Amino acid sequence: MPGKTPDKEPVENGGYRGGNDMKDKPKPKSKKNAKEGEDEMTVVVPPSKKQNSAPPPDVEDGDVAMDVDNADDGEAKVDPVVQTLSDVKSNFALLDRAVVLFDARFTLRALRSISSIRKRLTPDILAQAISEAYPASTPSDALPRQFLSALGRPDVQLGRQPGPEMEIDSEPKAGKNGAKKEVKDIIPEIDVFFGILTQVLFHDNKMWQQGLEFSRFLVDRIQSFNRRTLDSLSAKVYFYYSLFAEQLAPLPPSPQSPIVSIRPVLLAALRTAVLRKDVDTQASVIVLLLRNYLLTSHISQADLLVQHSQFPENAANNQVARYLYYLGRTRAIQLRYTEAHEHLTAATRKAPSSACALGFSQTATKLLLVVELLMGDIPDRATFRQPTFEAALHPYFLLVQAVRVGNLEDFETIIAEHVDTFRRDGTYTLILRLRQNVIKTGIRMMSLSYSRISLRDICIRLHLGSEESAEYIVAKAIRDGVIEATLDRERGFMKSKEIGDVYATREPGEAFHDRINACLALHDESVKAMRFPMNQHRLELKSAQEAREREREMAKEIQDGDLDEDDLGGEFEGM
Amino acid sequence: MSAENQLSKIISQLKSSPNLSYSESSALLSQAKLALLKLNALTPATTSDPALLALARDTYEAGALASIRAKNPESFTRYVSQLQPFYELPPNVLPAAGAGGERKKITGLYLLLLLTQGRYAEFHSELESLSARDGGASNEHIESDKYLGYPIRLERWLMEGSYDRVWKAMKKGEVPCEEFGVFSDILTYQIRSEIASSSERAYPSLPLSSTKSLLFLDSEGAVVDFARSRGWTIKDGHIYFPTEADEEGEQGQEASKVVIENTLGYARQLETIV
Repeated sequence: MPGKTPDKEPVENGGYRGGNDMKDKPKPKSKKNAKEGEDEMTVVVPPSKKQNSAPPPDVEDGDVAMDVDNADDGEAKVDPVVQTLSDVKSNFALLDRAVVLFDARFTLRALRSISSIRKRLTPDILAQAISEAYPASTPSDALPRQFLSALGRPDVQLGRQPGPEMEIDSEPKAGKNGAKKEVKDIIPEIDVFFGILTQVLFHDNKMWQQGLEFSRFLVDRIQSFNRRTLDSLSAKVYFYYSLFAEQLAPLPPSPQSPIVSIRPVLLAALRTAVLRKDVDTQASVIVLLLRNYLLTSHISQADLLVQHSQFPENAANNQVARYLYYLGRTRAIQLRYTEAHEHLTAATRKAPSSACALGFSQTATKLLLVVELLMGDIPDRATFRQPTFEAALHPYFLLVQAVRVGNLEDFETIIAEHVDTFRRDGTYTLILRLRQNVIKTGIRMMSLSYSRISLRDICIRLHLGSEESAEYIVAKAIRDGVIEATLDRERGFMKSKEIGDVYATREPGEAFHDRINACLALHDESVKAMRFPMNQHRLELKSAQEAREREREMAKEIQDGDLDEDDLGGEFEGM
Repeated sequence: MSAENQLSKIISQLKSSPNLSYSESSALLSQAKLALLKLNALTPATTSDPALLALARDTYEAGALASIRAKNPESFTRYVSQLQPFYELPPNVLPAAGAGGERKKITGLYLLLLLTQGRYAEFHSELESLSARDGGASNEHIESDKYLGYPIRLERWLMEGSYDRVWKAMKKGEVPCEEFGVFSDILTYQIRSEIASSSERAYPSLPLSSTKSLLFLDSEGAVVDFARSRGWTIKDGHIYFPTEADEEGEQGQEASKVVIENTLGYARQLETIV
């Protein structure tokens, strides 16, 4: 684990993201940041640490990481390079064990370690690691070579700046030849692991184009395998693949963005994953496709995808959170607020609470707040008080205030003031729909405060166009059950009805029912979430058998009269 | 080449005479589509010739407008979906036709169609993609557009309940172009029934004379007819609405059923837990 620093940095980032800082930042960074909201979320998956640490390298990239490349080659090499190399290699053991024991947990552990490795990773270190890992004459000798040549590309390109790297580039080859005799099969998992490391390297150095090309090659290769132990690794590969596509020239909202062109690949991957019951890839590819569609605002396609695919139930928690977020977003656009609210609440709850996923939590919370407002609820004040959210949610806080009071004027000025923020968060069109809610709240406030008020006054207070408009609006509010009142057309006023006792209605019962259901569902889920180690029941069986034998012995002894009652009680307790 | 010439001839014919009857224009359109088929340009491919693409787009646009004039929503929707891939093409392949482009008009009409059919989910999806397509910063731009702004404003007013504004927008010279007028009958019917259902709940009674203006009807006779069709009673020049008192008994029964069901559910769950 990367220790304290990497964990902290994203937090700071997150804090800025919502704040004013974002606007001032130069392009590449703000782009990154804007993305991060979702991205980090993206990152959060099981190998979650990986993405978390993505931001820090990013921030340093320009100055620090590059420097390391140049300067380190000479002297500093000794320690970090060796250290990194051994770190990389230690993962082979994990991957090996994952294959032998057929347990995905080891693979996940290997993936998690990437976050600590990536900060020290340079092209030459990676090349060296690869050259040391592969003996030159493996039976499948074409594959590693092909792989290396693809990897060799970054070296050549980077090598143009500092001289020493070129040497290193050739060194590996020597090393490779030296290692020739060592005949040992390299499992495909290790190939792919190197592939991911390369992707990470491209990503951290913002080499989107090369990254995309390399990912394309890697994806092709992955599709030729059919190994269940590769599943979680290939999920990661697709993830970076689509990340690269998103960064390339015509940026997402444009229909010409490269992300459109990767859809067929992702869809094919999804089909294969479903057929092979490859849960990891299935979950992450569905999420990627949803994100992809939403980035270009192809809402109906996203909806169709959700309808025609099944999200795996036992997907990793982070993927579930992301999936729920995108689903909630789609539903919110389709005006299905109740569903949207459900999904978004679940998404915010499932989001990892650690600082690394702050961006995701913030983005999801923002959307959730807007959906709550659209449903006519007023979000909890406490949401805005959390220190990590306060700055980011400030515009939304003002918005909620305006809606709560039902002040149309305030509402409009707030929208005008924060257009940029809302637009960046992708909540702008949703917020525009809030206008009618503001009016409704205004009418409700008025009906609560006055037992009788003229339509003219309503019209003036709410800044509505005309008295006729006010009359229609109030009539509609009455029909929709927003207020309990009647209208008098001849004399032009609204008369409020006495408000009944809530406890005489079915409402408290319903609320109670909802809570009981939530508790029961929680219980069921926690039972399902328990982990039962394999073969543990055999041990129990064994001890049960022993117990039975002892019992039989005891029974025998009792028969023989060797044992008195006291002993017997004690024995049973022991069992 | 002959097919191409034929095609452009048909298109100019369609464009120059917007008053063709539907049967005539659809005959021309099917000829045009046959020609497109021969040219292999029914759907855009990466290899298609830009000039052909523009011709195909013009054909579909003409077809869409013709079906709107003929009040044929199904065929209009079909044309719109055929146009979609053409609109997604990058501008360097298929330059967006400047003055002659009907894209905004057709999108606006499509939005209005979705609105009148009550397909709000699709309406908003379309809107979302619209604002994203033009690069985000153009929301005001969309709203102020002659063709696109119209359905957006209508939707907002319908949602708020400012029916009088909708009514005004449909009248007079407010409609951006004649094709939009096709929907006013449907919209009028729609807002009238909306108003009627809110009035049922909002007013204890209404005088006949003012109901006329409330429902945007022309005469008191029309009001009486309308009231009958909705089952309202008319007494002493006032309209009285049917009350819903009789339904409450059933509701009470239903409520107790729900409570019993819920409680049985809890019992079952508790049993599995304990």
